[in-house]
Amino acid sequence: MNAAMNPAVTRVAVPAVVWLGLAAAPVFLAPYATTTLTRMLVFGLLAASLALLVGITGLPSLGHAAYFGTGAYAAGWFAKNVSAQAPLSLVVAALAGGAAAAVTGWVAIRASGVFFLVLTLAIGEIVLQLAETWEPVTGGSNGLYGIPAVTIGGAPVSNAGYLYWFVLAVFAVGFAALWLVARSPYGTALRGIRDNEERMRALGYPTALYKYLVFVVAGTVAGLAGGMLATQQRLVTPADLGFTTAALALLAVIIGGAGSLWGACVGAALVIIVRDSLGPTLDGHGPLVLGLVFVLVVYLMPRGVAGVRLRRGGAP
Amino acid sequence: MGAWFDANLVSILNGAAIGCLLFILAIGLSLVFGMMDVLNLAHGAIFLVGAYLGWHIGGQDPTWTTFLLALAAALGAGLLAGAGMSLLTEPLRNRSHLDQALLTLGVALVVAELLSMAFGNDVQAVNAPPGLDSTVRVFGSVYPTYRLVLIGVGVVFAAGLWILVSRTMIGAVIRATVADRDMVSTIGIDNRKVKLAVFAVGSALAAIAGVLGGPIYGARPGLDSTVLILALVVVVIGGLGSVRGALVGALIIGQIESLGRALLADAASFLLFGALAVVLVLRPRGLFAGATR
Amino acid sequence: MSGMVITRRRLFGMVGVGGAAAALSACGSSLGEDEPAGSGGGQGAVKVGLVIPQAGVYAPLGVDMKNGWDLWLERHGGKFGNYTVTTVVADEGESPQTGVPAAQRLLQSDDCDVLVGIVNSATALGVRDLVTESKKVLLVANAGANDITGKASSPYIWRTSFTNGQVAAAMGRYLGEEGTTGGVFEIASDYAAGAEAVAGFRTAFEAGGGAIAGSAKPPFGKTQDYQPFLSQIRSSGAAATFCFFAGAEAVAFVKQYRQFGLAETTPLYGSGFLTEGGVLAAQGAAAVGIRTALHYTSELDNQHNKDFVTAYQEKYDVVPTVYSVQTWDAANVLDRALRSATATDGDTLSKALEGVGAIDDSPRGEWSFDGQTPKQKFYIREVEKKGDGYVNAVLAETDAVGQDG
Repeated sequence: MNAAMNPAVTRVAVPAVVWLGLAAAPVFLAPYATTTLTRMLVFGLLAASLALLVGITGLPSLGHAAYFGTGAYAAGWFAKNVSAQAPLSLVVAALAGGAAAAVTGWVAIRASGVFFLVLTLAIGEIVLQLAETWEPVTGGSNGLYGIPAVTIGGAPVSNAGYLYWFVLAVFAVGFAALWLVARSPYGTALRGIRDNEERMRALGYPTALYKYLVFVVAGTVAGLAGGMLATQQRLVTPADLGFTTAALALLAVIIGGAGSLWGACVGAALVIIVRDSLGPTLDGHGPLVLGLVFVLVVYLMPRGVAGVRLRRGGAP
Repeated sequence: MGAWFDANLVSILNGAAIGCLLFILAIGLSLVFGMMDVLNLAHGAIFLVGAYLGWHIGGQDPTWTTFLLALAAALGAGLLAGAGMSLLTEPLRNRSHLDQALLTLGVALVVAELLSMAFGNDVQAVNAPPGLDSTVRVFGSVYPTYRLVLIGVGVVFAAGLWILVSRTMIGAVIRATVADRDMVSTIGIDNRKVKLAVFAVGSALAAIAGVLGGPIYGARPGLDSTVLILALVVVVIGGLGSVRGALVGALIIGQIESLGRALLADAASFLLFGALAVVLVLRPRGLFAGATR
Repeated sequence: MSGMVITRRRLFGMVGVGGAAAALSACGSSLGEDEPAGSGGGQGAVKVGLVIPQAGVYAPLGVDMKNGWDLWLERHGGKFGNYTVTTVVADEGESPQTGVPAAQRLLQSDDCDVLVGIVNSATALGVRDLVTESKKVLLVANAGANDITGKASSPYIWRTSFTNGQVAAAMGRYLGEEGTTGGVFEIASDYAAGAEAVAGFRTAFEAGGGAIAGSAKPPFGKTQDYQPFLSQIRSSGAAATFCFFAGAEAVAFVKQYRQFGLAETTPLYGSGFLTEGGVLAAQGAAAVGIRTALHYTSELDNQHNKDFVTAYQEKYDVVPTVYSVQTWDAANVLDRALRSATATDGDTLSKALEGVGAIDDSPRGEWSFDGQTPKQKFYIREVEKKGDGYVNAVLAETDAVGQDG
């Protein structure tokens, strides 16, 4: 890698290699690794949808897991009671997440800064309480278990590798949606709102409407990620909705660097590795390691993984 | 009407007691955020440090000596912790508020884990110091003396802080910093020293609240998040940087958790955040937004 | 901080090295037919995955569970039958978010033959499909949800602990027989375990002719101050209170029950977790006189228990709890099953467990499997001061009952 590397080539080649690698993974990896990778994809999409909200629009939400969980419960309930046929439960999940975001978004958008943070936390906790007490539908504190495996053309997908490919396909769809929004003129306007909302308003942009729309889009994709969770884990519990999940998603976004969608996915991968792979073996010190990762990342990588500079000959 | 009151008078009184404890717990967070725009999410962890100090020094049945010793230790530990937090967030002063808040969240996680390694994972209970461990008859019901004392302590704290903030030079600096931080540094007062002092005092208040809250909350893993969320709700409802706001916010939350739960038992788990959501919808910056007293 | 420039190349270098090392161990293929993984223990050996909480609010229970398990293995030469035992521990954490990956890790990455443990009922229900499809036996050593061996039962899931309804029903029957006049107020944390306990209590109590004077459900995990509910109890005029609380809530409720003067007017009854283990020490004098029902207390007067308590105290310096006994019994049961089993795979083990019969050397007294969960005696215990501390002394004992109470 020298200074002569053409940035345009890198911009196409690197993502291509990554997607190819992701697609080929189950052929080379043992079931446990594949399952972990599947979990990373699920959490990665959640983190990316939050990155759209936090990094690109400047709305720090601590309640984003509520839409993730709503989508997950909707998909789980649908798969158990109506049909487990392939894209249906995921569509239901996305719609449910979007609807929940639409209903709560108009309340949340009215606040800003720390008030937005705490209000979204409150919304998240209210939805969590709903999940814990609405026992007939959500299973209460025991959660929604026994979700059947998703079926494609009638055959249930329970093999770790095939399930991974299915989740990867859904991930691609969700990520593409976020990417398109971020790259569009609408996305540029969102970045403008993040940097200086008053100026954008003075320029004539309907900032409140734009913020509401991105909130709903982010909620829809989070709901889709929730549907992926229900498909992969076949279990949804109130913990998936709570402050812990929301805080971990925020951590993933920060690790990745504000404003970067793929960075958030890398952050999510790191969080999943630390919590799910390392965590059980650390004799109960998992949360400590996670906290240290938090602190180190905030200090050493001010612009996250995405902001880490490419060394060009001479320049630091 | 009389019968309703009889049945609920104890709840109202209890709401005041819990409210006073919440005030002492939340005022530090309110001042730090109102003055320095730093959301200190490690506030709950520092409360827990105080709570564990109270249990470790006083044991389950403290004497007055050990109780006062614990308070002094909490004061010292809180000052140190606050100063430490201020230094930790110093390199981040030019970055976004979210980054600073997340740093404090990371510190909170680490501190909570260190506490659990040092003091174990068991639930610990602390009783009130001798003399305050008894009960009195209030409105025809039995009520723990310690909680009544808490009301007194809370009132004294609030009065003391109010006098400090509105009648002294230090208070003037505090109010000026809440109103316009940059202007204050223009007139020659070093911003960093103010930040250090506020963080230290705010954290000391949190740790002291941990000791004072021992007979009600005890000390256990997970208490830090519970307390942090309560403090956040109080601070946001009452408005930032305002002593009066924090007191009113705390008293409101105290009543919601007592009288509210007594009257609306079925919706009990939704009351706290429901109230927060309602307040923020009506007054997006809290009830006393902009007030600096 | 300015000296440390992390360039992308260095970063990916570090990640790459770490990743390669991990990837080597992760090699294989995920596309093959779903065959049950080979035996992790090899010939003459069995690999057991112990899923216990080591972080978070349930950690104290995890400590007791590990102690009970280790003690049994130490006193029996580390073998089940002729199989040498290797134990791999995984941290279940506080919720299924960490519990399910922990169990998955043990089954898929560590190739365990059997899983033992699990405190959180949601986690136990959540791994049901995983365990059933992998055809490995899970021996639940705490989680009490009725459904685990009820609606969601599986031939691979067995339990050596209890069901929430079973424990509460024992108290319900006792109070019904006692002929408590004036009604009983039921109060339990608002989550699945609390609801199952109250339902079990109510059915048994009303069948014995009792009347319920009122009920309340304090929000789970969000209640530190019980005054509103205590006022409710007082104004209901009940003659006694039945409650279900565990952990920090048990400590807070019992202390406040006494602080608000209710302990003198309205005797408190509950499921045994109210006063079991570390919480009793924290409650101290406030707990004296509380009567609870549970399938074990360290004060049980049978020889097996006496030996168990002596050995436990010698090794760990504390008195054992019901959580220690449950994993002790799990080891005991696996030993019996593997004596007659010819292999360590799930189907053979499951069949062997069916044939285990009565366990007559357990510290809790004699018990047997009924519907894959213990059919056991219950003890009505009362908290008493003993020496420097407090214990649950035995007042009465009931006949053996199965999971339907």
